[in-house]
This record gives sequence, structure tokens and C-alpha cells, in this order.
Amino acid sequence: MKKVEAIVQPFKFEEVRDALKAIGVDGITVTDVRGHGRQKGHKEVYRGQEYQVDLLPKVKLELVIADARLDEVVRTLTRAARTGKIGDGKVFVYDVMDAVRIRNDDRGESAL
Amino acid sequence: MTAGNPLSNQTEKVAFWAAPAQAVERRTAAVEAVVMRAWEEFLAPHASQGLAVLAVGGFGRCELCPRSDVDLLLLMEREEPAAPLRSAISSFLQALWDSDLRASHSVRTVQECCAVHEQNIELNISLLDQRFLAGDQALYGKLAPGLARFFHSQRQALARHLCRLARERHAKQGGSMYQLEPNVKESPGGLRDLHLVTWLSQLRNTQPDRLPIADCVPELLPARDFLLGLRCYLHLRAGRDSNALTFDLQEEIADQFSLDAGGWMRRYYSHARQIERAAERAMESVDEQSSNLLLQFRDWRSRVSNAEFYVSRERVYFRGAQRLDYDPSLALRLFEFVGRHGMRLAVETGRRLAERLPRLAEHFTSRPGDLWPSLERTLASPHCALALRAMHQTGVLAALFPEWQQIECLVVRDFYHRYTVDEHSLRAIEALTSLRDGDDPSRRQFADILSEVDDPELLALALLFHDVGKAARTGSHVRESLVLAGAAMDRAGVPAGKRAQVMALIEYHLDLSAVMNSRDLGDPGTARHLAQRSGTLEFLKKLTLLTYADISAVNPGAMSPWRLEQLWRVYVIAYNELTRELETNRIGDETAAGIPGAGKFLEGFPVRYLRTHTPAEIEAHMALEQRSRDRGVAVDIRRENGFYRLTLVARDRPALLASLAGALAGFGMNILKAEGFANRNGVILDTFVFEDPHRTLELNPPEVDRLRLTLERVTLGKLDVKELLRNRPTPGAPSKRSRIHPAVSFDSRASDSATLIEVVAQDRPGLLHALTSTISAAGANIEVVLIDTEAHKAIDVFYVTWNGKKLTPAQQDGLRGRLMAACAPDGKP
Repeated sequence: MKKVEAIVQPFKFEEVRDALKAIGVDGITVTDVRGHGRQKGHKEVYRGQEYQVDLLPKVKLELVIADARLDEVVRTLTRAARTGKIGDGKVFVYDVMDAVRIRNDDRGESAL
Repeated sequence: MTAGNPLSNQTEKVAFWAAPAQAVERRTAAVEAVVMRAWEEFLAPHASQGLAVLAVGGFGRCELCPRSDVDLLLLMEREEPAAPLRSAISSFLQALWDSDLRASHSVRTVQECCAVHEQNIELNISLLDQRFLAGDQALYGKLAPGLARFFHSQRQALARHLCRLARERHAKQGGSMYQLEPNVKESPGGLRDLHLVTWLSQLRNTQPDRLPIADCVPELLPARDFLLGLRCYLHLRAGRDSNALTFDLQEEIADQFSLDAGGWMRRYYSHARQIERAAERAMESVDEQSSNLLLQFRDWRSRVSNAEFYVSRERVYFRGAQRLDYDPSLALRLFEFVGRHGMRLAVETGRRLAERLPRLAEHFTSRPGDLWPSLERTLASPHCALALRAMHQTGVLAALFPEWQQIECLVVRDFYHRYTVDEHSLRAIEALTSLRDGDDPSRRQFADILSEVDDPELLALALLFHDVGKAARTGSHVRESLVLAGAAMDRAGVPAGKRAQVMALIEYHLDLSAVMNSRDLGDPGTARHLAQRSGTLEFLKKLTLLTYADISAVNPGAMSPWRLEQLWRVYVIAYNELTRELETNRIGDETAAGIPGAGKFLEGFPVRYLRTHTPAEIEAHMALEQRSRDRGVAVDIRRENGFYRLTLVARDRPALLASLAGALAGFGMNILKAEGFANRNGVILDTFVFEDPHRTLELNPPEVDRLRLTLERVTLGKLDVKELLRNRPTPGAPSKRSRIHPAVSFDSRASDSATLIEVVAQDRPGLLHALTSTISAAGANIEVVLIDTEAHKAIDVFYVTWNGKKLTPAQQDGLRGRLMAACAPDGKP
């Protein structure tokens, strides 16, 4: 099993969610987050005052999937989240040791 | 030996619904039998040592639901029981737990039962429901009179504690009974509130020589039966003490009554509302009996009483409610009073209104014209949210607007909403008004925008109606809301201009949320889209505030810091785009040709001009331009809503704007807003909105003509404005605390041909003249100007050129210092 963690632009979230749903990925955890990568924030001007916005709003998605689905899921995710501009985000992939469904103690991939 | 869940089969579930009161009594009897067996087995042998067992809490009231805790009091002669008795108590409790009962016990002496436990008032209160089960009768014989004396002597203190606990519980439960997934025990209007009513009644009727009797108020019996049956069902369904009425369970239960879940929930809310009102009434009477410093202050506040209403203990009463029979508009003035002074209606006042609701509805349906002026004052009042909630609670809102009735207690399920549609709408208005006196720094910027909005009452009106279309369940509630809001506003006689604004706000109320979720905020296309949808800065501000309030009222955590930041970014992007396009987007030949009679007059004005002026205003401007052709200038001054509007058309000349601003300052006028546009042929249209702080024009009508003449002479260069300003007194500097530090910024990217200068400064008479003179003295030309004032803060935007080009960095640096100096309170740095 693999855990996929993706940081995407907020406005791309719905598109990514729909694309994942279309390939049968239903289980997903979503968090509103702030951060920056190489983009390093930007300057905003309002009424003559300049504000440095260091941490930009992003959306973090977390999902755990069977090994066999990894390529398909990452491909779908990146395609849906991409605009081609700086700030599109990142995808991280981790190995998962086990999963347990709390309701009935199912384990491993059958718990997903 | 078990009493665990004797009512789990289908027949027993039905019994709970059919006759809940009898069913909980049967359940209590079954539990009591188990307790008595355990008593006989483990504790009876020790009864002679001074021991008795009492049922308290729900067990004492004979009101046990299938999984309720079983509250027991072990009454002891001595504080420290001997070791064998301690061991026996342990076995007794063990036996109860083994029988699948959740026993919750306390061990007390008579003295402990008759003392106030500040940290555990619940223990004192649970004794109001105490019932002897078994044990030392003589010991219990000592408790009963002691408790009677205790409750009688401590009745006021205990009642106050009870009210405090109830209010804390209400706050913890979200402060509203109109939650989509309520807790049938703890939420406002739940069973705990029913107990509260009974307890307060017991305390009120207590006598020093006998224990108070617990009787449910007869008119609340149907509500009690409904909630008891429901709670039993929830316990059986969950297999534990769960009182949450979730969406799934609502559907399941509604199915059994062949209703849709929304329809069944309306039944729930109607019962809960009865209990909530009874609880409020009971708590209010406790307040009335109390006497402390706070109440003395409240009495002091009663000085706001007038000929129609009086205030007692912070509650509003009619002086003569029968007057409503021949003067129904008294009801509207009542809510104006609430909105102005921020005090709640007395329960008695609500009852008086409720008695006359049909008459009020009939009156306002047949004579709706009476409605708007008063409603407008209520909506514009500082406590409008409180007034609207009072209107809603008394049923007056639904009587005035049948459209509102459609969303009362309406459940529309989605993952995010926590409240019924009516509650959501009222909370949205509360979120908006609480910006005014909130001190949360993260929301200060939204509070600033609110202070800049001219007519916040329209925002409240839009929020009131923005979701009324949800009752139609057509999938597009915006369209339905527009139809219903339009009809309601037509009936109420809302003036056309205000009606149009409210309709636009309702129509676009989801726009900014949609942009936050689905548009790239870094894309210039998003900024253009927002500017196009908003049209003007004024509308953008209102739409941003509406969105803020709407999201804030979805659930307590919906307006997270993350979302707040996103909404602010959307506002800033749109604001900057709207400011930028002021100079860049000009009316061309084609646009102007589309307006009959416009000729060359409009060509070259910013596109904004068309958005911010009605056809009638444009027509008036064109007429003014016609008049100006003979003399080179035409001036119009008229009074509007306590302010004056000056419109002037003339051929442009250097420093004209500065001269006009100076002339107004010379007459002691305070400029609040100004716009200045030039067309392609060098004809300018300047508009000033100003106030007359010394009432010069009002008290001396000929002065209006003198001002007009002066402005004409200044425009034509026949009068030097310096003459007018020579003898004007210098205004005093504002206090340090309220002083706004000036900021001057330049942006040469904002326009293709001009440099944008934005000045934010402490407003003062003559400020605009000082700024425009400074720009003109530097040899620069003002192409477009937009002036706004919020409270004491002036926000001035100028598009400036120098010999037809943008300002160089060196010119900007030179001008910056001089403009900063002009912003100083006395015009000096």
C-alpha cells in the first residue's frame, strides 16, 4: 500500500477530486493548509500599502491506495492539478505498513 | 439478574413512540427491581448502621430511558463507612454494572446533602428529584425536613446557579435549537430545558416545612412525550446513551411516519420551541427576582423608556399593548426600539404580539406602504440582528413576509451547514453586525470595509432573503430567492434603486465563494472577471461582506483563517482591478453611440461612469453640458438625504479641480466623495458629495446661490480661490489615538498612460484642496479622480500625467514628500 500526499492549488481541488473519483478513488482526506516552496510567496498591494504574503493558501490531499494503482493515481492527480505555472504544488508518496478498519478490524488492502 | 435492555424488540420500540411516559415508567420500575435485588443481597444487612439508598436525577423522576445513567445516592449516618460496609457498597455497584446498568452513585451524609456545593451544583439539584428506595427510614426521616429547609433558604442562589449552568450548556451546544443535527437532551429546547423549567418551578414554590413537588407544566406534556419517545428511540438504536439526532436517524424516523425528513424535523422544532420559550420565561423570572449590581445597572438603563415602551431589567415591555389593535405599526416601532437600544423583548411582550399576529399580518398585507420606512430604520440600527431575531421569534417576521415563513425550521442537508435555513440567515446578519464591535484583528479589514459602506441596511435585507428560495428545492435557490425577494420588496415599498441593489446582491451572493474555490487568483483573467461582475468598488465591498457573513453562518468553523485570507485576496484582486481600469477602460465611439443623445459628451469618460450612474442621471448630465455651452460652465447643487450633491460641467483648465475643492472648503463644506472625469474634447464632469457641518446652506438659503455663483467664477478664472481660503480657521488636530497615519503610493503599471497616486489620510476640511493643489503645483495634470471618505479616513485616488506621460521615478519621489506634508492636520508636515 502507498500513501499519496498532494499539495495543490485551492482552485484545482475540485478538479482533482472529480478526476480521482472518476477512476474510482473515493477515500480522501482534505486539509486547508498554507505554505510555500520555491515560489516563496509574493507581494500584494492594497491602498498603497505593500504586504508580503509569505505563506500561500494550498489544499493538502491524503489518500492511501493499493500498490498496483499508484502510477494511475499519481498520473491522474498531477494531470488534474497542473496549470504549468509556478505554485502548482507537489506529490509525495510513502510506503504504508498496514491499515485497519476500526469498525470490523479488516486489515491491509481490504481495509481501504 | 439483568435489566440491561429489556425493550429492544420491535414491539417495545413501538411502545416507546405510542406512550413514552408510561414506557419510561415501566423501564424505571424494571431498573428499580434490579437495584432492590442488589440492595437485598449486599447492603440490606448493613442498613442498621445508618444507610439508605435513594433514587436521584432521572431515576428519581421515574424517567429512565433505555440507556440512561442510573443515579443513586447512598445516604450514610457517618462520613467514613467501616471497611465491611465499603466492601459491600463495592459489591452492590458491581452487581448493577454486571446487570448492564450504568450506575452513577454518590455517598453523602445528611449534612452534606443540605449544604451548597459550589463546584457541584448538579448534586444539589439532583436531590430535587430524590426518592427513597430502601434502607434506614429513620435516617431518611432526618434528610427530608433538612432538605426542605435547605431548598427554601437557598432557593434564589440555586436558581441563579441553574440559570448559569443552562446558559453555559446552551452556548456549548451552539446557542441555537435550530441545528440540523440537534442533541435532544442538551440542545436549547431539549429535555434538559424541560427539567430546568420544572426545577425552577419547584424552587419558586418551595416551603420550609415540606419538599417541593415536581410537576411538568401541563401545556408542555405533548413536547415532553415527543422528546422522551425520541430519546428512547435514539438509545435503542445506538445501544448506548446517545442523544444526537443525526441525518440518518432523522430519515429513518421520518420513514416510520411516512414523512420526509424535513417535514418531520419541523415537528421536532415546534416541540423544542415550546420548551425553549418556557425555559427562557422561567430564567427571566429568576432574573427579575435577583438583586445585584448588574441589575441596578440594568434598571439605570431603563431610562431609555419612552411613551410607548418601558424597559425593566433589560427587557422591553409595551406600555399599552391594546394600542396594537388600532395602531399595528406600534409593532414595527417596537423592533426599531430593540434595534436602537440593543435590549431583548420581555416574554410578556412576545405573548402580546403573538395574540395579535393575524391582525398584524392582515394590516401589513393590505397596507404594506407603512412597512419600509420603519423596516429601513430597524435594518440600519446598531442592533439590527437582535431586532430581526426578536421579529423572528415572535412570529412577526413571518407575518410581515410570508416568504420568510417558507424557510422557518427548514432543513436543507449538506455536509457543511449546521443550522436550519432561517437560523443560518439570522446568524449571517449577526456575523455582519458583530464586525462593528468585534476586536478580532484578523477581521479588522472586513470591519473597515463595513464602515465604508453607505447603506448597510441593504446588506441586512439581502442576507434576510438570500436563501428564501431554498424551500422550493428546485436546485437553483438563487433564482427562486430573487422571485420571492422581489415580491416581498415590492409589497414593502422598497425604493427602486435600493431594490435593484438587494436583487443584485442576492443574484451574485455565491460568486465570490465560487471564485475562491475554482479560479486561479494569480490569473489576470480572474481579476477582470471579478471587476466585471462587481462593476463598482461600492458593490464589490457589499458583495465581499455578504460573502463573509454567509460563510461565517454556515457553521462555527466555516470561516477559518485560511478561508478568511482567501476571501480577502479575492477582494484585493478585484479592488485593484477596479481601481486600475478607472483610467484604462474608456468609453469609445461605439459605446457612446449606443446612448441616445450622448453625442461626443461621453467619449473618453471611464467605463465606470456608465456603471455608477442611472440613465436619468446621465440624461441630467447631458442637459447640464448643453447649458454649459453658452457660458463655459454649468453648476447644479441639490440636497439629498442630509448631504449636498454638486455637479459641474466645464471646459478643463489647469488646477480646476483644486480650485473647486478650495471653493467648497472656503464655504466651510466638508467633501465626502468626489469624482472627476474628462472627455476627449477636454470637457470635465466633476461631482462632489459634501456635508454642511455648520448648516450654513440650510439656515441661509441664499447662500446656495452664492456658492453656485462662486463656483462658476472660480471655474472661469474670475475669482482666486486663495481669497476664499484666507480667513478660514485651521481645524484642530485629531487626538493621537484616532489619528490615521498618512500613506502615499504611486503605481505606474496601473494604467497605460497615467500614474496612479493613492492617498490614505486623516480627513479634514480642505484636504482635497491641499492635495489637488500640490499635484497641480508640481505641473502634473489630474486625469481622473475618485475621492471617498469613511468616518475620519480619506481615501483618494488620482490618475496623473505630466505633459501627457507617466511620472518619472524622480518626479514621484519629489511629489511624495509634498503630498505627505499636505496630509498633515494643519497642512504642514
